This record gives sequence, C-alpha cells and structure tokens, in this order.
Amino acid sequence: MAERKITVESEVGLHARPAATFVQTATKAAMDVTIAKMGGTGAPVNAKSILSVLALDVRHGDTIIITADGEGADAVLDQLAAIASAT
Amino acid sequence: MLTPVLAPMAGAAISLSAVPDPVFSQAMVGPGAAIDPAREPGHALAPISGRIVKLHPHAYVIEAPDGRGVLVHLGIDTVQLKGAGFEPLVAEGDPVRAGQPVVSWNPADVEAGGRSPICPVVALDTPASAVLRVAAGPVHAGDELFQWD
Repeated sequence: MAERKITVESEVGLHARPAATFVQTATKAAMDVTIAKMGGTGAPVNAKSILSVLALDVRHGDTIIITADGEGADAVLDQLAAIASAT
Repeated sequence: MLTPVLAPMAGAAISLSAVPDPVFSQAMVGPGAAIDPAREPGHALAPISGRIVKLHPHAYVIEAPDGRGVLVHLGIDTVQLKGAGFEPLVAEGDPVRAGQPVVSWNPADVEAGGRSPICPVVALDTPASAVLRVAAGPVHAGDELFQWD
C-alpha cells in the first residue's frame, strides 16, 4: 500500500477546479484510490468520486492522506499529490 | 431509474457549456445544466430529495438515498464572497425534499458585485449520457430542469 501525506495549498481547498482535476486524474487509475483528511473523523473515501471529495470538504491548509495499491500506485499518487499541493 | 432534477430557482435554463467558468462549462465537475436566475431576492431550492451532504453559503450538494448526488453552485466565483449575502435555511446533514428552500440569496446583489449569478446544477459521478431532456428557456423554480437516467 503506497501512501502520500500532502498539505493542500490551493486557496479554495479541494473544491472547484482542484477537486475536479484531482478526481479526473484518480479516475484514470486502474486501482482503487482513497483520500482521507488528517484530523477528520470519517473513514477514507473514494478519490474517484467527486461527490465524496466535495463532501470531504478539504480546505486550504488541511492535510490529506491518499493511498493506492498495486502496480503504478506511486506514479498515480505522485500525480495526485502534485494537484493537491498546487497553489 | 429516472430522477427528475428540479430548477433550484426561476430564470432561464441554459446549457452548462454557456457557464462562464471552464470548470463547469467543460463539465469537469459533471454533466447537467444551468440557470441564469431572475434578478430578484429568493430562495435556492433542493433539486432532488435527499440529504444535505455539503452546505456552503454559495453551494450545496444533496445526495439521494440511491447515492446520486447533485451540486448546486450559486453564481460564479462566489466562494470569494465568504458567505456574505447568502443565508442557509437548513443545516448540513439535514434531510430535504425536492423543492425545499436551502439558501436565501439575491442574484442581483451577486451581479452588482461584478460576478455572474449563473447557477450550475450538476449531476455528480455520472456520464454525460445519463443526463436527459435538459430544459431550455424560461423555467419556474421547481420546474424539471433535466432527468437523470
């Protein structure tokens, strides 16, 4: 299981364009990808679901943990980390 | 199963591609339609029955019991208003019926502030082909805006 811990730098958090780009990228991955919010109470949610990501309500400065498993997981997580950490 | 998705407010139903924000016009968030709202104070309604899974002053997401989620965004770039001019009428987690008022706002104020008051209504996590019978032209609040197959 590969994992990345990222601080979200976008002014609007993981909403609007960053959220849409994040989910579009995750959806292209062959394996399951999850996203959780550090300090959040909920379980990790499906990173391929825009509904789940919007409901997670990741804000500027929040830290998220994204995970994926299997071949190519590191490449997928690197792409998602770049989107989430972009300003 | 067909889910009717209602117009959250009165105005003109327009294509999502006409929304002045590429995130919506390119359907990056999902397929759907938009309302160019009447410039008068009013309530934005729930487009479907379900639960308010996310409530911002300027946007909300409702998830139906079958898992279908619809996003209503009140105006473009309205996150910048930090809630000014928007009054939530329900709370996050509340169950709502289709047509129930969710947020009180005034599209004329949003426009006067230099922003577009156009409201995207987006079906989440579904292909464009699932959105059918999209309305065009004048609609009343609560009229059917599109059907979600």
